[in-house]
Amino acid sequence: MTAITHPASPSRSDYAARRFEDIRDLLPDVNNPTPLVRVRNSLGVDNVYLKLEWMNPFGSIKDRAAAYLVQGMVDRGDLEGRELVEASSGNTAIALAAMGAINDTKVTITIPDGVPEETKTILRMLGAEVWETPDELCPVDHPKDGAIALARSLAASENGTRYVMADQYENPDNVRAHFETTGPEIWNQTDGQISAFFAGFGTCGTLTGTGRYLKQQNPDIRVIAIEPQAGHRLPGLKSFAEANEPGNLDRSVIDDVVMVDDDDAYAMTLRLHRRDGLMVGLSTGAIAHAIDQYDGLGDGLIVGVSPDASTKYTSYFIERLGNEGQPS
Amino acid sequence: MTKDNASRIEPTETLDTSGMLCPLPVYKAGLALKGLKQGDVLRIICTDPGSLADIPAFAHQRGDVLLKVDDQGTTQTFLIEKGSGS
Repeated sequence: MTAITHPASPSRSDYAARRFEDIRDLLPDVNNPTPLVRVRNSLGVDNVYLKLEWMNPFGSIKDRAAAYLVQGMVDRGDLEGRELVEASSGNTAIALAAMGAINDTKVTITIPDGVPEETKTILRMLGAEVWETPDELCPVDHPKDGAIALARSLAASENGTRYVMADQYENPDNVRAHFETTGPEIWNQTDGQISAFFAGFGTCGTLTGTGRYLKQQNPDIRVIAIEPQAGHRLPGLKSFAEANEPGNLDRSVIDDVVMVDDDDAYAMTLRLHRRDGLMVGLSTGAIAHAIDQYDGLGDGLIVGVSPDASTKYTSYFIERLGNEGQPS
Repeated sequence: MTKDNASRIEPTETLDTSGMLCPLPVYKAGLALKGLKQGDVLRIICTDPGSLADIPAFAHQRGDVLLKVDDQGTTQTFLIEKGSGS
């Protein structure tokens, strides 16, 4: 086992700067970026960094979007006397539920069925109401987005007086969050040496906002999107073979799309755990697999988003691990 | 039970989704049916004209029996008998 090298000891003022009066003060921005950590052992190249978004206060990259979405709703007065509803497979839901808990705003989440029990339990622990929704909820007009359709119908019902929807798929505040925070953070953290950026198709706020910012700094930076196969089991990612493309997707900033299947994503997620001690979630596994397979990226720094950690997906891995790691 | 005598049926439960837009009535109907037994009848009151397509398709998809549809313009009423497969 190799020795651990620590950065220089922080000064007393640095210690004081790490004391916070409100959990939301930990939300990331250019002055408080999430870590960029080199992947040392799991990939065939050594110029890849993952941006560890699970170091955010509510546990995922969606803290950024949620903060901007909530601020936008507060600024517009949308939340006065109304409850918040959102469709989410987990991370945005958790961030919104946490912020709702702080603000004493009731939060209802429409969540696709099949989302791991860990996520649903965390949401209920945060006081949110969780409406588990089949993808094929709409029997007549049915893209595979039942949770989104249900959230929209809740927001529109009762003449719109009860609920307001954050609408992370269409709300430009989501893109703006990444244009103003994730993009500048990565640019600064790589000293402008980034040559390629990898992120998954989902709400597309990360891809569009970060990609747009990075390309404004250097149009040669390649922005690569990761898409799962139809029928996948990779929460947070969207296959546009079965789901509608969100309004927040700007394909003009995307240079290429890599398809990743579940087995490869699960295998890479385990490899990142076992070779690098990176306790990443499944979408990170998909993104890292795409980086590992991609040819012609050159010597510049490659950055992949690590949207969340594995803690919410342990039940998925119990099935895959079988008796592995248990005494025989 | 046949559709001919549906008008004489006393529903086991009534679900009023007035003011709700599809697919919310479908979702609520699914929850309501979950609490009923096979052969029980759910009356669903809707005010979204989209329910005229959604509710029959929903019942067919689940294997329930759509006993009656009454479209009064601003209000639609459905009777659904819970099937064995749901």
